[in-house]
Amino acid sequence: MKQFIKRFVKVRNTTEHFRQSEHHRKRDIVSAYGFLTPALILAILFIVLPIILAFTYGFTDYYLLKPNDKEFIGLENFKRMMTDEVLIQSFMNTIKFVVFVVPLQLSMALGLALIVNKKIRGVGFFRTAYFSPAVLSLVVISILWTVMLNPTSGLINELLENVGISKQPFLSSASQAMYTIIAISAWSGCGYQMMIFLAGLKNIDGSLYEAADIDGANAFQKFLFITIPSLKPILMFLVITTTIQAFKLIVQPMVMTGGGPDYSTITILQYIYEYGFRHRNIGYASAITLVFTIFLVVISIIIKKLFREEKVA
Amino acid sequence: MKIVKKTLFYILASLVALQFLLPLIWMILSSFKIDEVIYKDIDTIFAFVPRFSDLSFDSYVELLGFYNIFKNVGNSLIYASVTVVVGLTINSLAGYALARFKFPFKDWILIFIIALMIVPIEATILPLFLVVNEMGLINTIPGYLLPFIINVMNIFLFRQHFLSFPGELIESGKIDGLSEVGCFFRIVMPSSLNMYITVGILTFLASWNDFLWPVMALSNADLMPIQVALNAVFADTYNIFTSHMMAALTIVTIPIVILYIIFQKYIVEGSMQSGIK
Repeated sequence: MKQFIKRFVKVRNTTEHFRQSEHHRKRDIVSAYGFLTPALILAILFIVLPIILAFTYGFTDYYLLKPNDKEFIGLENFKRMMTDEVLIQSFMNTIKFVVFVVPLQLSMALGLALIVNKKIRGVGFFRTAYFSPAVLSLVVISILWTVMLNPTSGLINELLENVGISKQPFLSSASQAMYTIIAISAWSGCGYQMMIFLAGLKNIDGSLYEAADIDGANAFQKFLFITIPSLKPILMFLVITTTIQAFKLIVQPMVMTGGGPDYSTITILQYIYEYGFRHRNIGYASAITLVFTIFLVVISIIIKKLFREEKVA
Repeated sequence: MKIVKKTLFYILASLVALQFLLPLIWMILSSFKIDEVIYKDIDTIFAFVPRFSDLSFDSYVELLGFYNIFKNVGNSLIYASVTVVVGLTINSLAGYALARFKFPFKDWILIFIIALMIVPIEATILPLFLVVNEMGLINTIPGYLLPFIINVMNIFLFRQHFLSFPGELIESGKIDGLSEVGCFFRIVMPSSLNMYITVGILTFLASWNDFLWPVMALSNADLMPIQVALNAVFADTYNIFTSHMMAALTIVTIPIVILYIIFQKYIVEGSMQSGIK
């Protein structure tokens, strides 16, 4: 058998060799590398080199204002991370955000997709309306909601008072701020996922529902036994992308709360930014970067492994 | 029975729609009022329904009096356009090479590209800042643009696309005397226009909406893209009124709305390919 494969490979190689003259092959190699070079140079400079730097600086006490003074300090930065209460807080905040926003945003998106999947007049209007916040940038959304959520004169509190609910502090309260950010993020992001769910719903074979009708299934049963299983690959795709995206939360807290009050909304990425960019403590920030990057890579590999058998869109 | 059900559905769908539209309507409407009127109207229906006697362009005129926000909008338009044009060219060339040519280390380079796709760029943004800083490119336009011209995800998307590109078309071009480069720009690119528009729109939106990297890479107010400038305007509590802020937000939103209306189909298609946001 082995011999057979060897001979087969050899035969194939020789025919290809004959098909393509030596001259052509050389020209192909030159063209290929010519086409690849700009991309490869940029990738090495701006993706590979930063990763290597994070790796080496993480083990030093490099401080940006004293670049010639850096020393190898072993695992010191990593030990410090274990007892850094604000870092642990920012990690817990990030986890809290992910755990709440992913199911909330995806269920909102699925609900919206079910509404706009109906064959009814005016459905185009509803689709555009639901999608509209997704067109805005995160900075615009963050500023708009900060103004609307103003504790004393904001639109939301005035509306709440009109229906008999007392004024809420929202972003200025340590117990409410993160949940407020979660709600706003889900509100702004669910339009995109609605569109992806909608494409999935349109692909479901209508005869499945007809068969269920004949069997006397009600709407809820049809949803549970036909719609959900058919959407599974798309659901997995969205769970992966939304989760990874959620771990990288930074713009909303940076613009709306600055990480406060009492560190209740500071996230990992923001902590890295504060330490490395604002305080210029490169060594410590690089160590956190290193751990965070590895954490994200592991998370995405685990989620992908869990749903390995699903063919993702 | 059926009519009742239909009516209920419409009521539900409309209530949900209001929930998404009202903040945007309030934003646009408030940008045409003075602050006094905004806060007088805030707990009435006129927060969301225009009363034409109160509307004026005053807040826009005042805002532009002390912040030339159009300069930053212009910066962002230029940055996003350059990123799209240069980025699409470089990334699609690499994707084409990986799809069509045979050359040594091809498999290794492909594995390298796929491995880089797993690494989240935002997570390594601090060491990226250090690299650009070492090169002396902080606070320069190349330093700001170059890192985001390369996009391994797009290289991969282009490679997948070019795998099924008909080889006969390229052969016929060669017979007509075109070089490999000529074939690419005269035949391959024009016949993959849809792909280029889809990836281009996504790249444009990502660049236009980017915030964290410009905050780190550009602190010069004259070079700032609009999202950073917007945050700076917002932080200025002395000069700024709510009406000014809403005017600024409305100005920033308009180009994206226009882009969305023109390229609706591609934005939805593209977001499905890459799952952004």
